Amino acid sequence: MPYPDLPGDFPDRYRSVWVDIDPALYDPAVGHRVYNEYIDQLEYAASVGFDGVGINEHHSNAYGLMPSPNLIASTLARSTSDAAIVVLGDSVALYNPPIRVAEEMAMLDGISGGRLVAGFPVGSPMDTVFAYGTNPATLRERYHEGMELIQQAWTRDDVFAFNGRYNKLRYVNCWPRPVQKPHPPIWIPGGGSVDTWDYCAENDLVYCYLSYFGYKAGLATMRGFWNKMAELGKPQNPFQGAFAQFVGVADSEKEAYELYREPAEYFFNSCLHVYAGFADPPGYKTPNTVRAGVEGMVERAAREATARSEAKAKPKASAPAASQAMPFETMVEKGYVIIGSPDQVIEKLTEVGTSMNVGHLLTLAHFGNMDNELVRHNTELLARKVLPEVQPLFENEWEDRWWPKPLPTAQRAEPAR
Amino acid sequence: MSAVSTTFTTRQVAFRGGTVKVVEAGQGPTVGYLHGMVGLPAGELQPMLAELAADHRVIAPCLPGFTGSPTRRACGSCPTGSSPCPSWSICAASPAHRWWPPRSGRWSPSSWPVRPEAFSHLVLLAPMGLWDAEDPVADAFGTTMTEQRALLTADPAATARFWDDDPAVTDAAEKIELGVSRYLTRTSAASLVWPIPEHGFAERAHLVRTPTSLVWGTADRLVPPSYADRFGAVLPQVAGRYLVNEAGHLVDWDRPVEVAAIVRTALG
Repeated sequence: MPYPDLPGDFPDRYRSVWVDIDPALYDPAVGHRVYNEYIDQLEYAASVGFDGVGINEHHSNAYGLMPSPNLIASTLARSTSDAAIVVLGDSVALYNPPIRVAEEMAMLDGISGGRLVAGFPVGSPMDTVFAYGTNPATLRERYHEGMELIQQAWTRDDVFAFNGRYNKLRYVNCWPRPVQKPHPPIWIPGGGSVDTWDYCAENDLVYCYLSYFGYKAGLATMRGFWNKMAELGKPQNPFQGAFAQFVGVADSEKEAYELYREPAEYFFNSCLHVYAGFADPPGYKTPNTVRAGVEGMVERAAREATARSEAKAKPKASAPAASQAMPFETMVEKGYVIIGSPDQVIEKLTEVGTSMNVGHLLTLAHFGNMDNELVRHNTELLARKVLPEVQPLFENEWEDRWWPKPLPTAQRAEPAR
Repeated sequence: MSAVSTTFTTRQVAFRGGTVKVVEAGQGPTVGYLHGMVGLPAGELQPMLAELAADHRVIAPCLPGFTGSPTRRACGSCPTGSSPCPSWSICAASPAHRWWPPRSGRWSPSSWPVRPEAFSHLVLLAPMGLWDAEDPVADAFGTTMTEQRALLTADPAATARFWDDDPAVTDAAEKIELGVSRYLTRTSAASLVWPIPEHGFAERAHLVRTPTSLVWGTADRLVPPSYADRFGAVLPQVAGRYLVNEAGHLVDWDRPVEVAAIVRTALG
């Protein structure tokens, strides 16, 4: 849910799209329009055959206008009937106490009749340690303690005391309880931390790599997760993996280049214009990740934004070619964005699934400043011409234990219209 | 005084279930030193300690989590932001430098505010702990490493032994571990002051009964020199104020000789 009306020279005039972006750039009338459009688009996706609709949490930014994903999820829980509500998710450490997350997600699961996927990211450094002021040295401890509290709150059948380091609750008693038992499937969105792979692998959770940079760049990260699974002697069930990919479908490749160039360039040049000082606060990364030399996607985005800014500031002759703003053709070539005719997109998405061994594909049919009409066009083509060919991948070989198990249709309440 | 001591010892001392590194050098009246954001990097003695060790016994514990002190928690990483005791919170509020010569021969990093009899004098080097929204302390950690380094000292080369790889280390694995150690030191420093380095010190400053001198670099871009007045207004016994020209926040790294001289003057 990006803010779509940043000025064309935003990267030149402003330091960052996140944390300290100028509040004067936000027009509430635009916000009103796009919130409704974005919700419409998600509802439309659910109506034309997507298995689920996904939302996430960000703060103080024009990259994604969703400080509270649960608010959006609550409207979707009412307005959709079959699609999973994939909340990716609530940044656990930011909720005080995190029992609030357990309660709100139980509400969502209840309203939707058991269609919730519960996502729990640590959260980006911009959101967690800068916008919300959480100490980076304790962020992950808070996160893990919150995760423990939430899962106990969902599954224990008694009223219990929780004596954590950060949360001291004499009475934990989660009313309502989730519909799904023992609890909604848990997905962990990650941006490249080694410890997130380990956490998912060790705890039977979905590792959901939310990459900005497409499947080619994401391959190494997903391999890291599957290597950890192999190390633990666990099965390589593709449904324990998820991956986000920008996708643009058109009637022809030529048309796809025409349609999706501007929104992709807006996204990569403006929405990812993150000041490098906000991308890697000390303590955000674990020692294992530092030791492994893994660069998170936010770090990479910030590094590339810095390179672009520096290249612009230099005389043309001295600017290294690699630092110039990336042309759309290169974004496509590198796999940041998959575009083309339906057949071309089917081929590439199949490659994404098989090469990364991911059974859950989060196709981003909206990106950057894509207008409402084009989003619906893209969504419809994806749903009608692409997804039917891609959805069966892995279904006969593996069981998806990480997908919602809603109430039978006959037991589900029908919202009065 | 121009003699410089480069001989020093280090030892590990039990602390809160782990250990902390303690550096010791010189002979003479005892002076304690609590370091600032870059800790006590391995290798040579910190430059001002080297100056003072010429005629003092200097004792410098490396705070938990900083290079050489594997105990995980620095005292400021209190999960709730509150503090169980005044000494602890003062320590949390001001992770910058403090000097104290113990009288009794027994000392603890957290005891100086509540045991004034143990220390004859404090010298605070550009401490943190107060906040004025009209003249805020800069954000040392919402920056790139290059910018952070430039924020800390007037001469970025002054702290090279912390920031730069040791050319003597050629083993790849050892280099990586040194990088991890540097990262953990920065983490520990950040944990003490995140997100705003003010945790109620003004309300507790009256507990500091020890005569206190304040030292600031005129080129301090992190904690504006005007904060000397703010500290002067809340501390009960300000014995002296000193400005050091061409010095940044880590004034003792930028101007070790001058600051050592100030410490000698302050300690009488």
